[in-house]
Amino acid sequence: MTDRNTEATGHDDPLSAGESLALIERQHQQAQRGLEPNVVLFFGPWGVAYLLGFGAIFLTYPTALPIRLAGWAAAVVTAVLFASAVVITAVTGARAGRGLRGPSQAAGIMYGWSWTLGFSALTAVNLGVTRLGLPDEAVTLLWSGSSLLLVGVLYLGGGALFQDRFQYGLGVWMLVSGACSVFAGVPGNFAVVALAGGGGLLLTAGYFVLRQCRPAVAA
Amino acid sequence: MSATGVAPEVMPELDPVIHAQARLRVTVALAALAAGDQITFPRLQQLLEMSAGNLSTHLRKLEDAGYVQLTKTHQRRTPVTYISLTRAGRRALEDYTVALRMLLTPPTEQPGG
Repeated sequence: MTDRNTEATGHDDPLSAGESLALIERQHQQAQRGLEPNVVLFFGPWGVAYLLGFGAIFLTYPTALPIRLAGWAAAVVTAVLFASAVVITAVTGARAGRGLRGPSQAAGIMYGWSWTLGFSALTAVNLGVTRLGLPDEAVTLLWSGSSLLLVGVLYLGGGALFQDRFQYGLGVWMLVSGACSVFAGVPGNFAVVALAGGGGLLLTAGYFVLRQCRPAVAA
Repeated sequence: MSATGVAPEVMPELDPVIHAQARLRVTVALAALAAGDQITFPRLQQLLEMSAGNLSTHLRKLEDAGYVQLTKTHQRRTPVTYISLTRAGRRALEDYTVALRMLLTPPTEQPGG
């Protein structure tokens, strides 16, 4: 409240040592919250997209489950969810970087672009290989396996860049999920990507929610 | 917690530039940026919820002390001011924090004091 008074009167009453330390701690946390992107939005929307999108694709195949989705319905669900995740991630990153420049910004922007560049190259490689004539099942497994491999590697990089072991762990988990998806065959690969991939992303989002809610540690 | 009641007069070694609420808040907010990173005036203003006039005044005092660096530039023909804490500013905040801690827990020979 004292800082509000300062704001109003434009004059500073000197603080005691204890009050100053408390102000430093409060202001530090407020600044960090205001500067950092809400990382939950980097993982949550993707977790939902993986779980429901790939889950929907899984349900277009004849499975033991009583539900069967039409191909077009699953395609629409998946497209909408992934487009939303792309937009949410891009907007979150751009908002956090507003009015900032310097080495951290440059690193963040380069990391963001590595997703776009990586997936562009992956699409080109997979389309090029597919052109040679592969069985449908191989094409499907190529996409799920290579996509999760790239996602895993990018999370390893993100974990290293942002010094975040949990994100690094997610990268390892995605690598394992990608490999398992190929061996699961079709349509099991979609179940693996939806449950293991989406689950890992949602778990990571949950971890960041908890970390944000954690009560501030006093100085 | 009798220490929190320490009067300002008994803290002669505290840096007067930082030992003012508004400038302390500005310095702490700028210290939250990584070394080498800069922030625009409007974003800093939003972060601190301060009026533009108030923030300008305090930034000028911090700049005069060599604690803050203001870089004026243009982005799409609009003038933009980037602000960052200098090495001296970061050091001053560290020293200030250490001094506060020492005032709260004066070094004593007595165990448990």
